[in-house]
Amino acid sequence: MAILAWFKRRRLDEADLKNEIRAHLAIAERERMADGTDPRSARLASLKDFGNVTLTTEAARRVWTPWWVEAAHDRVSDLRYAIRTLAKNPAFALTVIAVLTVGIGLNAAVFTMLKAIAFKPLAGVDRSAKLVSIFRETASGRQLPLSYPDYQYVRDHDHAFSGLMGSVLEEVGLGQGQSTRSLWGELVTGNFFDVLGVGAERGRALLPSDEAGPGRQPVVVLSDGLWRRDFGADPEIVGKTIDINSFPLTIVGVADPSFHGTTVVFDTEVYIPITMAPQLGFTFGSQQTTPSGILGDRRATVFFPKGFLRPRTTFASGAGQIEALGAVLSRDRPIADVAEHLRTVPFWQTPGGVSKEMLPTLLVLTPMGLLVLTIACANIAGLVLVRGLSRRGEIAVRLALGAPRTRVVRLMIVENLVLALTGAFLGVLLASYGIPLLASYAEALAAPRRVFFNLAVDRMVIGFAVLGGCGSAVVFGFVPALQSSRVELVSVINQVSPRGTTRGRMRAGLVVAQVTVSVLLLVGSGLVTRSLDAVRHAYPGFDGRHVASVAIDLKQNGYDEARGRLLYRHLLDEVRTDAETESATLAAYEPIAVLDTPSQRFAIEGYELQRNEELAFLSNTIGPDYFRTLRIDLLAGRPFELRDDQGAAPVVIVNNTLARRFWGGAAGALGKRIRAGNGEWRTVVGVAADVKYIRINESPRPYVYVPFLQSYRSAMILYTRGPAPADALVERARAHVVALDANLPILNARTLASRMNGALMLFNLTGMMLFLFGVAGMALAAMGTYGLVSYTVRQSTHEIGIRMALGASRLSVVRAFVGRGLRLGAAGASLGVVSALALTRLLGSALYGVSATDPISFTRALAIVLGGVIGATLVPAWRAARTNPLTALRYQ
Amino acid sequence: MTLHSSRPDARTDLLHGTLDMLILRTLQWGPQHGYAIGQTIRAQSSDVLQVEAGSLYPALQRLAKKGWVTAKWGQTEQNQRAKFYRLTPDGKKQLLREESRWTELVNAIGRVMKPAGAPGSGE
Repeated sequence: MAILAWFKRRRLDEADLKNEIRAHLAIAERERMADGTDPRSARLASLKDFGNVTLTTEAARRVWTPWWVEAAHDRVSDLRYAIRTLAKNPAFALTVIAVLTVGIGLNAAVFTMLKAIAFKPLAGVDRSAKLVSIFRETASGRQLPLSYPDYQYVRDHDHAFSGLMGSVLEEVGLGQGQSTRSLWGELVTGNFFDVLGVGAERGRALLPSDEAGPGRQPVVVLSDGLWRRDFGADPEIVGKTIDINSFPLTIVGVADPSFHGTTVVFDTEVYIPITMAPQLGFTFGSQQTTPSGILGDRRATVFFPKGFLRPRTTFASGAGQIEALGAVLSRDRPIADVAEHLRTVPFWQTPGGVSKEMLPTLLVLTPMGLLVLTIACANIAGLVLVRGLSRRGEIAVRLALGAPRTRVVRLMIVENLVLALTGAFLGVLLASYGIPLLASYAEALAAPRRVFFNLAVDRMVIGFAVLGGCGSAVVFGFVPALQSSRVELVSVINQVSPRGTTRGRMRAGLVVAQVTVSVLLLVGSGLVTRSLDAVRHAYPGFDGRHVASVAIDLKQNGYDEARGRLLYRHLLDEVRTDAETESATLAAYEPIAVLDTPSQRFAIEGYELQRNEELAFLSNTIGPDYFRTLRIDLLAGRPFELRDDQGAAPVVIVNNTLARRFWGGAAGALGKRIRAGNGEWRTVVGVAADVKYIRINESPRPYVYVPFLQSYRSAMILYTRGPAPADALVERARAHVVALDANLPILNARTLASRMNGALMLFNLTGMMLFLFGVAGMALAAMGTYGLVSYTVRQSTHEIGIRMALGASRLSVVRAFVGRGLRLGAAGASLGVVSALALTRLLGSALYGVSATDPISFTRALAIVLGGVIGATLVPAWRAARTNPLTALRYQ
Repeated sequence: MTLHSSRPDARTDLLHGTLDMLILRTLQWGPQHGYAIGQTIRAQSSDVLQVEAGSLYPALQRLAKKGWVTAKWGQTEQNQRAKFYRLTPDGKKQLLREESRWTELVNAIGRVMKPAGAPGSGE
């Protein structure tokens, strides 16, 4: 019963109260009439005595209203009021929203990229940022993958990880013969999917039992993308067989659609047990020939094991345990004469990973994004301030009518929040439409290789944008709001013109701040764009134009070494007879390979290794005419020739850096001997100029070339140079391969120049971002400065009128104002230059080919900013000076 | 005694509490309707405290909500319809609490205004 009553009495019974009031009035009236008053005045007196019926009802109703309903009601009315006020001045509102949209959109984009690299590097894997990678570090600091037996040892003895998996990205050929297509595959351990917590959409994922032994489980898991694109989402896919590197594998499942592999940026399409690697022709640098030999070889470099630490294990203690395991391993079963350590790093620092490469760039982009947002805020603060001035009358009236100051401030804050959140929303929208554009641009650059960017705009990004929006609202709105509420009633109502000394100083401060930040931003983006430009136009040491490249892998059509050598010779002979071809050659790796190629330990005759020193160089296996075809200068000696075969003396060509480091120069290197690992000594017969081997922005590094007839590799790239148009050249080269073996898969055929575009994809992407940032920041800064300065000038119309009435010439008036603007601009510019000089030093390592104090970037930034300030003063001052002095005087 | 405020703050809380106490006190002698409660308080305070309807009716709603009074429609002696308020047992207890708090407060204020040892306090 009580509960029923409680429910019944949760709100005011309005009709009942109405009756009660009516009864009250009746009683009062009757009492007055009893005193002798006439009925009419009795009714009026009672009504008057009672007071306001509506207010009474209202007050009674409020008794029953829960506090939160009332509070919400207040907020809603604040919100409605704010929207109404803003709608009255749409130009202001739209400008602020547009400025914020750009500011927050850019930041959301940078944050999304940062998220993709540092916070959520792997799509489809929970807490992927928490993954930890293990690598081998040699005494000289070389970071190497672990061999398979070492991985097994660590996995079986470790207690720090809840599971340790391994995976290595390789390019594999899918299909048979000419229809073979090259795609990214990961060779993984059986617990790969378990450790990552990734499931299968169809069939099953790989299991530890799939890692039973070399060649025992010929199975494969497809990516959702491959299943849909190449197999039309065939529901009966499980159990079918596909050829990978011409080896049949049975499809056991399709991985979860959200999963794209564990190599950031690369879109993995097949997952194969690591134990199948030898059958597919992968040797990981092992000299062994049998599958079990390759997998058992502790000198092979296979992968960087990864896993999640156990819940209560700290990173430091996990790293300590792995290091201790490594110490046991290298003490009990040493494989090198120098000590090696096992190191542990967070996933994004995995050696050679894209995250590690990209992060410095992003760390440049992040403060730039924040600077853009700062400019946006300063801009808006200026607008809000100016608007506050024109609202003095309104605010004064509100205060005069008894509105508490807190209420006025609150209203303004609500207005700002409405603007900020709209801006944040549109910013997220901008980012979520802009990022896919950037990503597809990058995909187009990388084609036909598939790349994947984990750039989804998710709750994390939206949260960031909302936070950014609210933060900016506080920054740009709070101070002006407080200022506006501190209105002196009397002066405003008496229409005394505002004595804006504080306001004037604040406006001047804002102009200076904007100019400072703009200079900083422009210098920063100028430096980075110039550095990217330098990178893009840097001569890589070879000429990739008019060169076709056709990648083949003989093991994919079952060639052994003897037949392979024969085919290579025939191929080169064939191509050379082609009149359209100037020169042709074969090589194992392409220049600017992007993916790290394995480095090898070398010994140099006569060079004593210091304690813990180790010489490890990158090397390439090349055919004759390599240097001629790629237009790489030969500084001394001779190129390889067909006579440098198995029967001839072992020879080698080194690059200039290596020659200079050990023999004092190209000439001194000839005739010296070096060897790889414990192989045979090779005599240096030539010295080639330096080339960019892995990345365009790498510093010069030692490099070794070995003749292809003395070091067989099944995967080679055929290069041909000729005057024909690029596509025709590629087709001719492909036709030559087909003519020799129609069933040999061609992994890819295209021009070397287009391969380089793919390699430069990340540079182009960041270049594009920086360009956008520079443009946005500059536009915002110019707009803000223009607005503030021109407002100041407009405020002074009166002053201009007086000056001109007293006989000042138009020119002198304009000059006076431009001078004033320039003084502010110069103050901001000097502050900007000083802070830029201090801050660009931090960019140092991210720059290439430009110094941190590059005068061109500084001059350009100053010219743009000061030009903007002059323009922003000149136009309104000129306009003001053209008005009739009388009008100007009457203005106020 | 003027009480219209949209928002409870410390000052109006004190006044609310006092008005509530006066109403409860008035009802101690038996059920009364709103008009009579106002008149009673006015008469008892020798016309010093004039309770406006705008304060009285919200206060009655407040007391009803807290369960200290119940209301019932009835007839006045002049045979007019009116809503009569009656103290509940909870209301009686509340009145006692309010009274003792009030006494305490008055004594405290009295001690402050006329300290025992201060000159002129001996009257």
